[in-house]
Amino acid sequence: MLELVDLSKRFGGVVALDGAGFTVDRGRILGFLGPNGAGKTTAMRVVFGLLRPDGGTVRWNGGEVGPAERLRFGYMPEERGLYPKMKVRSQLVHFARLSGMSASDAADAVSHWLGMFGLTDRGDAKLEDLSHGNQQRIQLAAALAHKPELLILDEPFAGLDPIGVESLAENLRSLADEGVTIVFSSHQLDLVEDVCEDVAIINEGRVVVAGDLDDVRNRSAKRRLTVDVDGRPWIPDWPGVEVVDGPGPDHCIVDDDAPIEAFLTAASAVGTVNRFLFEPPRLTDLFREAVKT
Amino acid sequence: MRPWAQVLLLAKREFIERATGKPFLVTMGLILTAILAVGPIVGAVSGGEEEATKIGLAGDVPAGVEAELTTRAQAFEMWIETVPLADRSGAERAVTDGDVAVALVDGSEMLFKATASPRLVALVQSSVDAAVKGAALADMGLTPAESDAVLTPIPIAITTVDEQDPQEEAQRVAAFLGAIMLYISILMFGQFVAMGTVEEKQNRVVEVLLSRVRPWQVLVGKVAGIGLLGLVQLALLAGAAYVSVQFIDLPDVDIAAAGVPVIVSLVFWFVLGYTFYAFLYAAVGSTVSRQEDLQGAIMIPIAIIMPGYILALVAAENPDAIGPVVASWLPPWVPFVMPVRLAAGSAQPWEVVLAVVGTVIGAVVLVWLGSRIYAGALLRTGGKVKYREAWRAAAE
Repeated sequence: MLELVDLSKRFGGVVALDGAGFTVDRGRILGFLGPNGAGKTTAMRVVFGLLRPDGGTVRWNGGEVGPAERLRFGYMPEERGLYPKMKVRSQLVHFARLSGMSASDAADAVSHWLGMFGLTDRGDAKLEDLSHGNQQRIQLAAALAHKPELLILDEPFAGLDPIGVESLAENLRSLADEGVTIVFSSHQLDLVEDVCEDVAIINEGRVVVAGDLDDVRNRSAKRRLTVDVDGRPWIPDWPGVEVVDGPGPDHCIVDDDAPIEAFLTAASAVGTVNRFLFEPPRLTDLFREAVKT
Repeated sequence: MRPWAQVLLLAKREFIERATGKPFLVTMGLILTAILAVGPIVGAVSGGEEEATKIGLAGDVPAGVEAELTTRAQAFEMWIETVPLADRSGAERAVTDGDVAVALVDGSEMLFKATASPRLVALVQSSVDAAVKGAALADMGLTPAESDAVLTPIPIAITTVDEQDPQEEAQRVAAFLGAIMLYISILMFGQFVAMGTVEEKQNRVVEVLLSRVRPWQVLVGKVAGIGLLGLVQLALLAGAAYVSVQFIDLPDVDIAAAGVPVIVSLVFWFVLGYTFYAFLYAAVGSTVSRQEDLQGAIMIPIAIIMPGYILALVAAENPDAIGPVVASWLPPWVPFVMPVRLAAGSAQPWEVVLAVVGTVIGAVVLVWLGSRIYAGALLRTGGKVKYREAWRAAAE
């Protein structure tokens, strides 16, 4: 279990983390969300000791995280980077060994991942000679090869084509099934909703929403109302109703104790109601709500 | 996994990636070939002097002159060969064509091409003297032993008061070449450290590294791996020079005695000097994010090294001058100047101890300073990081 507890960090006058914290259980996938500059990368860097927090701690399975624990973690930074002129295989073996693997284990693990990504025959190529997508895969392999118990990926889906996205999502799911704890950040909320079980939303250095995605949605004090009248979206022009233009059909966000029957009656008065959905908010709704300032 | 095991892996990568890289292999191949070629070429060219000096004898040659020439040539430290010539015109031709260095005509005239060599004049003159006067003395009834006693020149010893001992001279030249090699090596491998640091920042690989190891490990691994490559290169070049020199005929010089101490001391001073500067180069390299910006930043270590190199050249000429003496005590310049003064026999033991201890202390300070700046600047990309900023950031 990974716990970020009350992390704070300032850079000069800028507050990057302001008491941020969340928890992920073993084998779960957590989507770490937040607008640009909210503190996601800073929090991830703190986990890996790249930055020292001004306050708070990071715990792994109950104990403080130190260099020995970090070797059992895998990290794919937002700023991708490997040695461009180094051969793919020897590069991956190097990083796996730096994480404490023996030479033969590292060679086996690297072969495994090159096979998984269909890159077995590119092992002796220089990294720079690979396509952009394949370089991304090698980057991921560098984070995975040493069989980490915790995987932290900063924007892993950025720059991938739809097929790449789907295969990465599958890889992450199967790793989680094997017991690997995964945290990744993303701006693609549909994807997060699809892949993640847990979610943490950070805004201005604070985690404003955290927990099991379904719980969070159900616990929300808001509901999403989608009404179709005569083939067109219908939105009540009432106080307390927040209109949302797409994605998907236009809809609105209302309080969870809003008068459903009154909405239905009003909609029926306009025309034929084809669809009337009153449901927990989607992740995009939660996100918008959470980062509203 | 122990931290030093990781450092070893990092050092190994630096060494292998650079040693097997094309730029290094090509440069090394070219330099080695050049060094290995110089000796045999110089040897072949200078080997021409080994030919005997030819002396032509024309016309009526007084009896015994040929024998006297051969015996006396040894006293003159010359190796001669006599060539019989028909007459004066034949002698003139032979001299003009350069077939003989001098021609003796009728025992009474010496022919030279352009200028008369005093040594040959003396040799021929005394040989003719001895042959002709020896015959006359024999006619007067002197025994050969008696006439020899009269005719043999009184030996007068020749002493040059300011002559260089060729061995000492060889040592000095070796130390001088060593200083140049040291200078080039420290500059070159220091630059490799700086370039390697920038490369890791520019390629953003540094964050992948730092999620596994601490900055000091990356730094020490890099400095050690590149330093080892520097030692290998130094050993190869020095070894090649040593082999190459064997092809040059150097009378009175024991090449091993002059060369081996220089090679050994080269290794010692390289380790000291490289360690001193490598961490400075790393700190400098860590403050920029692109190779293009490195040339400006790298002027700092170069500006410090350059006077040391110049003073080493001064020391080779004049090891006791105040400049080289003081420079050989100051840590940044010790590795360049002290080996030259040592080879010239000008440095006192206490000076050497002072210099080495001072440089080691200086290196430790630079390791600490350099590591801190390096650690603070490593994750800052974009423009140039200010040294003060990097220093403070190291605490973050």
